[in-house]
Amino acid sequence: MKPVKVTHLSFAYIALVALLALGLGLYTWVQIGQRAEQIREEERTQARREIADALQAIQAKLRTSAKALAEWDETRQQLAYDEYYPLWRDQRVKASGLIPGSIAAVGLYHPGGGILSRDNPGHMPEALPARAPAALVVKEQGRDWLYHFFPIYADPGREQLLGYGGLKFDFLAEMASIRQFRYADPGRLQSDLPENTPMRFEDALAHLRYGTQANEGLAALHGLLRDFQVRMALLYVAGLAVAAWLLSRFVVAPLRRLSADIDALRETGAKAADAPAPLEPLIVWELENARRSFRDYHARLSDLRSDLERSSRDFFDQARQDALTGVYNRRAYDEDRQALAQDRRHELCALILFDCDHFKAINDTYGHEVGDTVIRAIAHCLQGALRDQDRLYRLGGDEFATLLPDMDEKSALAIAERCQEHVMRHDFRQYGVGEPIGISIGLAQAGAELPLAELQKQADLAMYAAKRPGQRKIVVYEERLGGVSALLANDKITAVYQAIRDPFLIEFRYQPVKRLPGLETAYVEALARINTQDTIIRPPDIFPVVQARRLDAEFDQAVIQAVQRDLEFKRIPEGLGLSINLSVPGLLNPKVVDMMIALSQAYPESRILVEITETAFIEHMDLATQQIQRLRAAGCAIALDDFGSGYSSLRHLASMPVDIVKFDIDLVRLLHAGDARQRRVAQDIARMVASVGYGMVAEGIETQELLDQVLALGFSHAQGYYFDPPG
Amino acid sequence: MPKWIVAVLGLLAIAAARAEEVTLDLGERLTARAEYRPGRPELPAVLLLHGFLQTQDSPTVHQLTDNLGTEGYTVLAPTLSLDVPARRQSLACEAIHTHTLEDALREIGAWVAWLKARHPRIVLLGHSFGSVELLAYVQQHPDKAIRKLIGVSIIEGRYRAGEDARRRKIAELRGLASSAGRPAVVRQQFSFCRQIQGTPQSLLSYLQWSPERILGAARSVHTATTFIVGSRDDLMGPAWIGRLRQTGARVVVIEGANHFMKGEHEFNLLDSVLDELKALP
Repeated sequence: MKPVKVTHLSFAYIALVALLALGLGLYTWVQIGQRAEQIREEERTQARREIADALQAIQAKLRTSAKALAEWDETRQQLAYDEYYPLWRDQRVKASGLIPGSIAAVGLYHPGGGILSRDNPGHMPEALPARAPAALVVKEQGRDWLYHFFPIYADPGREQLLGYGGLKFDFLAEMASIRQFRYADPGRLQSDLPENTPMRFEDALAHLRYGTQANEGLAALHGLLRDFQVRMALLYVAGLAVAAWLLSRFVVAPLRRLSADIDALRETGAKAADAPAPLEPLIVWELENARRSFRDYHARLSDLRSDLERSSRDFFDQARQDALTGVYNRRAYDEDRQALAQDRRHELCALILFDCDHFKAINDTYGHEVGDTVIRAIAHCLQGALRDQDRLYRLGGDEFATLLPDMDEKSALAIAERCQEHVMRHDFRQYGVGEPIGISIGLAQAGAELPLAELQKQADLAMYAAKRPGQRKIVVYEERLGGVSALLANDKITAVYQAIRDPFLIEFRYQPVKRLPGLETAYVEALARINTQDTIIRPPDIFPVVQARRLDAEFDQAVIQAVQRDLEFKRIPEGLGLSINLSVPGLLNPKVVDMMIALSQAYPESRILVEITETAFIEHMDLATQQIQRLRAAGCAIALDDFGSGYSSLRHLASMPVDIVKFDIDLVRLLHAGDARQRRVAQDIARMVASVGYGMVAEGIETQELLDQVLALGFSHAQGYYFDPPG
Repeated sequence: MPKWIVAVLGLLAIAAARAEEVTLDLGERLTARAEYRPGRPELPAVLLLHGFLQTQDSPTVHQLTDNLGTEGYTVLAPTLSLDVPARRQSLACEAIHTHTLEDALREIGAWVAWLKARHPRIVLLGHSFGSVELLAYVQQHPDKAIRKLIGVSIIEGRYRAGEDARRRKIAELRGLASSAGRPAVVRQQFSFCRQIQGTPQSLLSYLQWSPERILGAARSVHTATTFIVGSRDDLMGPAWIGRLRQTGARVVVIEGANHFMKGEHEFNLLDSVLDELKALP
C-alpha cells in the first residue's frame, strides 16, 4: 500500500466524521419526519373519532333535550292550550333550562303535523318532515341545521299522542361546542351536504369535512429538534474545526516536524553530531519522546556505524596484515600490485622478492615456533632495511616481497643489498639456530611498457637463479634468465604437482653403476621421470620446477613411494643396491629421512644408497650430519653427488660422513678433454679422495678411453652411457 | 325481626299494591290524574287536595295519603290539571297560567262525582289553598254525600300589598279580562310566587278569594267544617286562628307546627285528621 501523508489522513478523517455527522443528521431528520407523519395520521384518526363522538354526544343531547321537553308539563300545556304558544316558545322554553342555550329554535306540532303557530321566527318547518320523528341535517341557504323531531304523549304509557316537538340547532356550531376537541379542528368544520335535502343524522359523518388542529406540541418539538439539529450541526462544525486544529497542532505538525527531523538525520548520514538540533520540543510528549528516542537511537546507530567502520578498517587492515610478522600479506600485495598496474603515474617500478634459504629444513628441524621466530626476525630485518614508505609483503612461508614504484634498478639493488646485509648481521643463534640464515633475493625492474604480471615472473626467475648453488644471493633479472622460464611452463608444473599427489606417475630409469675393474653392476641409480598420459617429463624439466616451487622435500617423498612400488613389484633386480637422490631440503627434512629409513628396513636385500649434494654440508653442516648419521645407522650408504660441480670444499671433504664420492661428469671429462693442468688437478683430487678412503664413482663414462683413465686413478665405480646407452 | 315491623311492612306492601292512578278526561284534550287508594267501605272516602300549583305528590298530601290509606280509608288524591294535560309537576310561578279557580272547582266536582259513584260518604280534606278551593266547592255545590270538610293550614291566595291594593288589582284585572281579544299575560306577586305570570282571568279568579271571603264562606257553608292549623304557621299572621274560630267551624291547633306540618307534627296532623274522621257518625 502506498504511504499516505498524515495531512491527507487528517483531512480524510475530518471529512469522514463530517459525512457521518451529516448522514446521522439526515437520518434523524427523516426519522423525525416519518414519526411526525405517523403522529399526524394518528391525529387524523383521533380527529375522526372525536367527530364521531361529538355526533354521538349531540345525538344523546338531542334525546335528553327532547325527553326533557316532552315530559315538561308546560310543553303539554301548549299542545292543549296554545293561545300563548309564542310566549312559551320564546320565553318559557329558554327560561326553563330544559334545553341547551345553543338551540336555534323550538317548535311544537299538532298530531297532524302542522306547526302550532304561523308565527315562526326560528324558521322551523311548517310541517313535520316526512321522515319525522327523526334527527335530520339539512343545508339551508348555505348553513347546516340539525333538526330533531320527537313525539309528545299525555301519558307515560305513550298512548295518548298530544303532538310533536321540534328542536333546531346550528349543526356545525353544535358540533364545535359539544365537546372539547383535542385533535379535530372545529374552526375548519364544514359539510358537503346538498342544499335543502334532509339527511339522516346518522349519515352526517360521511358529509363532514374537518381538519386537524395544529399540534403545537409536535410543532414545538419539531422546532426544538430542528433547532437542536442546527445547534448540533454548528457544534459539529465547531467541533470538527477544533478537532482539525487540535489534529493539526498536536498530531500533524509534530509528525511533520518529526518526519523533517528524521529526513534531516538521514541527510546528515551517520554523523549524529552533525544532526540539526531541534528548535523546540514537540508539543506531544509521546512524539517528543519518540523523537528523542529516535535521535538517541540514531546517535547510537552512528556510534555503532563508526565502530563498525573502525572495525571494518581494522578488519581491512587485519585482512591485509600478516598475523605472524605484522607486515602486509599476500592480499595487500595483490591489491597494491593491481593498484599500481592501474596507476599510470608510475613509469618505473621495481619488485624485490626475498626468500629464506632452506627455511623448511629449519622449520622441520627446530620446530614451528623457532621457524616462526626466524620468519619474524627476517621480516623485522627487511622492514628495517626498507624506507619508511616502502611496504614489505609476506607472500607466504618464508617468501617476502616489496614493490618500489618510481625506482630504478640501481636504487632497487642498493635496497636489496641493504636487506641482505640486515639479515646477515642478525644473530639467529639467539633462537637456537646454529646454521647461518641467509636469504635469496630476486629483483626485477619494469618500465611503463612492461606489465606488472611479467614483472612478477621476472622476479621469480631472478629468485630461482639466486637459489641455485654457486650463484650470488642477489640476482637481477636479465634476458639470459628468460630461458628458464620455459622450464616453468604450466604443463611441467602441473605434472610435478600431479606426481607429488600421485607418486605412481613417477617412473624410473635405473642406470647401472659398474664396479671396477670387473665392470659388474654394483647397484642402479633411480633416475626419476614423470609419465603423464600425454607425455613424459624428464629430470631436466622436473627439478627446476621442484626447486623453483620449493617442492624438494615433497617430491623426494613421492620418489621414495615410487621406489617402494618398484621394489614391491620387483622391478629392480634382486641383489643390486639402489641409489636414490635426495635434495638438500629432503635430506634436512626428518620425514623424508624417516621414509628412507623405513624403505631400507622394509627391503633389506636391496641396499639403499642415498645420494646427496655437498651444498647440504656447506650450508647446514650440523643438521645434514645428523640426518646422514641416522641414515647410515639404518644401513643406508651415503654418496656425495656432483662432487666438483660446486664448492667442492676440501675443508669439508675430510669430515663428510659419506661412503662414496661421485665425481661430477664435468670433472671426469677433464681427465680426458682438459688440458694438462686440468687433468693434473682432476687426477690429484681423485687420488686425494681415494686416499681418504671414500669409494669413488666416475659419472659420464662414455668411452673406453675414459674408462681406462678412471680405472687408473683408482675409481671403484663408474657409470655412464658407455654402460647404459640412452634408449 | 319483631312482629310489629313485619306487620307494618306487610301493610305498607298491601297499601302500595292497592294504589292506582286514575285518569279523568276533562275534554278539550285535557286529562286529569289522581292517585286512588281504595279502603274499607265502611269508612268514609277522603278526597285529598293539594295546595296552590302543587300536585298530589306534595309532601304533606303524599304523607296524608299514605297514612290514611294505611288506616283503611279510601283516599283519592287528584292533581288539578291547571290546563296541563295529565299534569305531573308543580306548575312554576313563571309558567303561563291560564287556569282559573272555577276550572279547579269543575275538576273537583268531576272527582267528587267520580268518588261518589264508589263511596256514599265523602270527606274533603284540603291542604293550604286546596282547603280554600274545597271550601269554595262546598259553598257552591252543597252535597249530603260530603260529610265533612277538613281544611289543613287553610290560607288565601295571599297578596302582600294589602287589601286596598288587592282591590285595586282586582279591578285592574277585571278590566283586562273584559277587554276584547286575547288578553296579554300579566305578572304580579301572588301567594308564594314573587311574580306569577298568567292571564288576567286566571289571576283574578284566585285573587278574589281574600281572607274575608274565606272566613265568610266558612261561616256560610252547611257542611261540617274543621280547620287544622299549626300554632307556628306564620303565613296568615297571629290573628288568623282566632278569626277562623269566629266562623263557628271547629279549629284544631297543633302546637309548634308550621304551615307544612313537618317532622313530628305529621303524626299530630294524622291523629287530628283521624280524630275528625272517626268523629263522623
